[in-house]
Amino acid sequence: MLTLLRIELVKLVRAKSFYLSFIALTGFVALMLWGFYTYAERKAGGQAVEQFKYTYESKQYFNGLTFALYSVLFSFTLLLPVFVAMSAGAQVAGEARAGTLRMICARPVARPALVLAKFAVTALHAGALLAFFIGLNLLVGLVFVGWGNLELYPGPLNLVDAPGKIMRDEALVRFAYAALSGTWALLVVVALALLCSVIFDSPVQAVVTTIAIYLTLYIVGRVEFFEHLRPYFFTTDMDFWRDVFKPDIPWQSLWHYACTCGAYTTGLLLAAVLIFDRKDITS
Amino acid sequence: MWSKLILAAVLALFVAGALHFAPRRERELLGAQPAAGVPLRLLTWNVGYAELEDDTRAHTKDLPAVAETILRREPDAVALQELTGAAQLNALLALLRGRYRGAVAQQGAGDRFEAVLVRDAGARFAPVAAGERYALGATFRPRADTPEVLLLSAHADAFNAARRRAYTEALVGWAEARAQSAAVFIAGDFNFELRAGDETNLYTDNLQHDSESYSYLLRSFRDLGRAAGDTAINDRRIDYVFGAADRVRLRRAEVLRGAAVGRMDHWPLLVEVEF
Repeated sequence: MLTLLRIELVKLVRAKSFYLSFIALTGFVALMLWGFYTYAERKAGGQAVEQFKYTYESKQYFNGLTFALYSVLFSFTLLLPVFVAMSAGAQVAGEARAGTLRMICARPVARPALVLAKFAVTALHAGALLAFFIGLNLLVGLVFVGWGNLELYPGPLNLVDAPGKIMRDEALVRFAYAALSGTWALLVVVALALLCSVIFDSPVQAVVTTIAIYLTLYIVGRVEFFEHLRPYFFTTDMDFWRDVFKPDIPWQSLWHYACTCGAYTTGLLLAAVLIFDRKDITS
Repeated sequence: MWSKLILAAVLALFVAGALHFAPRRERELLGAQPAAGVPLRLLTWNVGYAELEDDTRAHTKDLPAVAETILRREPDAVALQELTGAAQLNALLALLRGRYRGAVAQQGAGDRFEAVLVRDAGARFAPVAAGERYALGATFRPRADTPEVLLLSAHADAFNAARRRAYTEALVGWAEARAQSAAVFIAGDFNFELRAGDETNLYTDNLQHDSESYSYLLRSFRDLGRAAGDTAINDRRIDYVFGAADRVRLRRAEVLRGAAVGRMDHWPLLVEVEF
């Protein structure tokens, strides 16, 4: 199993898409910095002095930690799942397309172990991607915006229902928690993409199907018509990762949704293993 | 084979874990307290109709139902919004069999009026100018041994978050100036849209303005009806009772969901506190 993991890890690191995801996220951070900086200047600068008041328009509100929070929250929903799906979707289908899958399966390697190794490596990629993204945001926030406490208000970000504050050091711990909870939430997308990768022989088809399912559930979940369906979408449960940024972390709820995401992940992974174990490899 | 069994076991473990840990419950900032002090019961109700109706103000035919709810719940004071004017208020007072005194606010830029009903015969009413709109304040003493209470009936703009913010700012300023002499409550329909999760974009000026307004109110007051849930159709919580937490303790907050009649789009919010 360790040999399998090492081989899969080498394959991942050698893939161009692995680096593309990091480069794209770096670009997003640069874009966020520009948007955040100009917004803060406009809202908290001289031209807005008349309106300059209590919360968002306070200069101390716009600090590096707030920047990192906005950047991570904005990107998590639509950006990170795409890169994670790209990585996981290509795992089995990519081998099939390249013609190497049959060769791998002809060797004395248990098929379930192969799927689990690919899952573990992709999970590692998801974790590294999120940790890198959070770290980069914090670094850019520190260097270009400056640090302060994390102030939270009801409304935007939808994190609190009353004004709250997380002190700087505690906020940094929360970002570390977010790297863990966010990775755990992304594992659902990893498992889904891996299942699609097992089902389809084309990596493009696997990635597009994964993203299509994810986006469909995400969008439908935000339309009031389908309000009653919302609790049954994994995209709703995935949102639990943000709870670590609440002044008082709702641990009970966090464990509930973490377990739900865990169930989705293992369920999809089990399905992938079962299908791949019986699959007739023709490519 | 073993890997599949282990995966199945882990899946079962996660399902059990999800069942074991209860879903999130709304946190209540002010926990309900056992009855000890003198109670004060306040009710706020936008008795107007939903947007699609020809006349979205209160309909006189609904007043018997409004009166029945008030008589059944016996609030010490009632903040009403979207009345058509003094005539409608007088009709309602008549249906309340003389148990309440009341007044409507001055007419502002709109065609609807806020009103306050109070059980205390000695209540004093005062208009509150807030931009182009008028709220109405009533000062009264619910019991002989309690301090004076000032209840404001408010109705913020339904369509413009910036105007809601200016209105809220004026109202809070007015209320804070009187907070030393009376226990101040601000009740009404503020139309705050704070549920960003329902927005297609994550950060808008409207959200920022409403968040600003709400946060500003919470600097001086507590949202007493927070735990009661939605107060209007489409799962919106836009009716509030704000009160100074250092002067009163919350006993209960309840949205009277069976009370709306006709095409009303709000339910009354009943808040009971004690001194």
